[in-house]
Amino acid sequence: MKSIFKIAWRSLWRNRRRTLLTAASVVLSLTLALFMRSMQFGSYEQMIQAGVNQVGDLQVHDSGYWENQSLDRAFFESKNMDETFKDVPGIKNVLPGLETFSLASYGKQTKGILVSGIDPSLQNRQTNLAEKIIKGKYLTKPDEVLIGDQMAKFLKIDIGDSLVLLGQGYRGLTAYGIYKVAGIFHLPSLQMNTSLLYMSLTDAQNFVYPYQAGLLTDVSVFLKSQSDIDNVKKALEEKLGKKYEVIPWQTMLSDILQTIKVDNVSGQIMLLILYVIAAFGIFSTILMMTMEKRKQYAVMISVGMQRSKLIAVSVVETFIVAFLGILAGLIIATPILFYLHYNPIPMTGDMAKMYLEFNIEPILPFSIKAHVFLSQTFIVLGLSLLSALYPIIYLSRFNVLNAFRH
Amino acid sequence: MSIIQAKNIYKVYNETHVPVHALNGVDLEIEKGEFTAIVGPSGSGKTTLLNIIGGLDLPTEGDIFIEGTNLKTLSSRQLIDFRLHNIGFVFQAYNLIPVLTALENTEFILELQGVSKKEREKRAMEILKTVDIADKRDHKPGQLSGGQQQRVAVARALVSQPKYIIADEPTANLDSKSTEELLTLMKKMNEKFQTTFVFATHDQRVMDKARRIITIEDGKAVKDETFER
Repeated sequence: MKSIFKIAWRSLWRNRRRTLLTAASVVLSLTLALFMRSMQFGSYEQMIQAGVNQVGDLQVHDSGYWENQSLDRAFFESKNMDETFKDVPGIKNVLPGLETFSLASYGKQTKGILVSGIDPSLQNRQTNLAEKIIKGKYLTKPDEVLIGDQMAKFLKIDIGDSLVLLGQGYRGLTAYGIYKVAGIFHLPSLQMNTSLLYMSLTDAQNFVYPYQAGLLTDVSVFLKSQSDIDNVKKALEEKLGKKYEVIPWQTMLSDILQTIKVDNVSGQIMLLILYVIAAFGIFSTILMMTMEKRKQYAVMISVGMQRSKLIAVSVVETFIVAFLGILAGLIIATPILFYLHYNPIPMTGDMAKMYLEFNIEPILPFSIKAHVFLSQTFIVLGLSLLSALYPIIYLSRFNVLNAFRH
Repeated sequence: MSIIQAKNIYKVYNETHVPVHALNGVDLEIEKGEFTAIVGPSGSGKTTLLNIIGGLDLPTEGDIFIEGTNLKTLSSRQLIDFRLHNIGFVFQAYNLIPVLTALENTEFILELQGVSKKEREKRAMEILKTVDIADKRDHKPGQLSGGQQQRVAVARALVSQPKYIIADEPTANLDSKSTEELLTLMKKMNEKFQTTFVFATHDQRVMDKARRIITIEDGKAVKDETFER
């Protein structure tokens, strides 16, 4: 084994320039691949984080609510549930909510809307909703509501005006009330600006069922670390029982995941092109090395070296080049990516505005998750070792006498 | 008992679908300790015969026995192993492994045989001293002259004490002085260790040292002469 490594190592450095050039092609492809993937995954993480900030890592509902989002599937908050949230480790905070559909009327205009009952201070801490107010102020008093700018435009309503809500309440009741418009917000989604109304959770509970406090349709659960999601989900399901369902963000944000999936394909195509170029670089060197050493192989087999050992020499040579390239690539790329992760590139101009509209911080984030590094390292290593197939096939069919003759 | 026995050897190459009859019924026996030259004009079949004797090629017809083992019955893997333990090779173009030093090249066969590091270094150094190249032990082939490289090649062939050594035109790339030195060395090894040498050669100086000369023409052994030398 030692002699295999010795021959492989020395063979490589016999043509130092070629070996370095091949290693450089590995370095370049790995570095570029790492930058591309780190940036891509960084932006995905940012998109997901922005979504999770809105809906939570997990949401607890009455069983079946996610499939059929009706007020009939609302539930009353209980001590048991509050204690469960305190007991399960890994939970950062929880955000109770109540959502229902209603008609909103002002003057001669009426419109179907979604009423969202929130805890104003908790909601603001989690989603910075107050910052999205473009006119008026945030929720501070009872019987106040926030509406989207498009809804305000449609209803021709302004700050301080009274809005009439009429809808179906809990258990067949009629829900109705008059609320003062405290603020007008602008969110990234047109649909939200057109149809969403925020009021305090207490007001919402009184609106749909004034006879008993604590009615909720959902509790958003925010975790200390996303990696705990499976454990927390399992623990909540066990402790809350079958009356409730625990939905993860992956289900709630399936549209974002779909967008990411589509975008990821374009990234993979770019990577594929990069890999093909790198693979040809490595392959051409392996091909040259193999052809150049035909006579040496013939001598080695003649004097009694088994083909399997010669194949091992070739594979070790390829592995060394790939390993050196990967090592250098990681040494170059890792500190830069770590720097860019902790000091992301700020975006300016229209791009920054667009990001802000989507409630995403206007920065170019870079991911430093282990899978980015591991996947690219293994792909480049795999490609390099794939190139070693050529000498393996060549040597297994190698004709000693032909090699001597040529 | 003969070391090498070739019985009615035929070799036909089917190059580009036109059969080339390289050997046409060669019978041959070589005893232990012989110093034999196979001679003949280019294309006569001497290298083909040497390849068959050396287990690098197999006859189309006929059998080749090495101390009773029929090489035709061995698999490719067994044949390589057989060469490793029984046959030494000296090539025309030296064919040392360029990335290994003289000592490492000499040790190479022993390493393949699984001899311990200490033992193989001892044996390799002894043989390098015998072929008078021990002072170049750390030189790589590129740093040695043709004659020096061929001495290392002889050392590599001899170090494992094979049953016989095959040498295809070993002096073809050497000047007169190196040729003379190499032949004297091989003769010395032949006498000292009773190692059997079989050469394919055009070189008159080799023929002058050989105790047996087999002449091949058109794939047949047409003359077999022995000399007292």
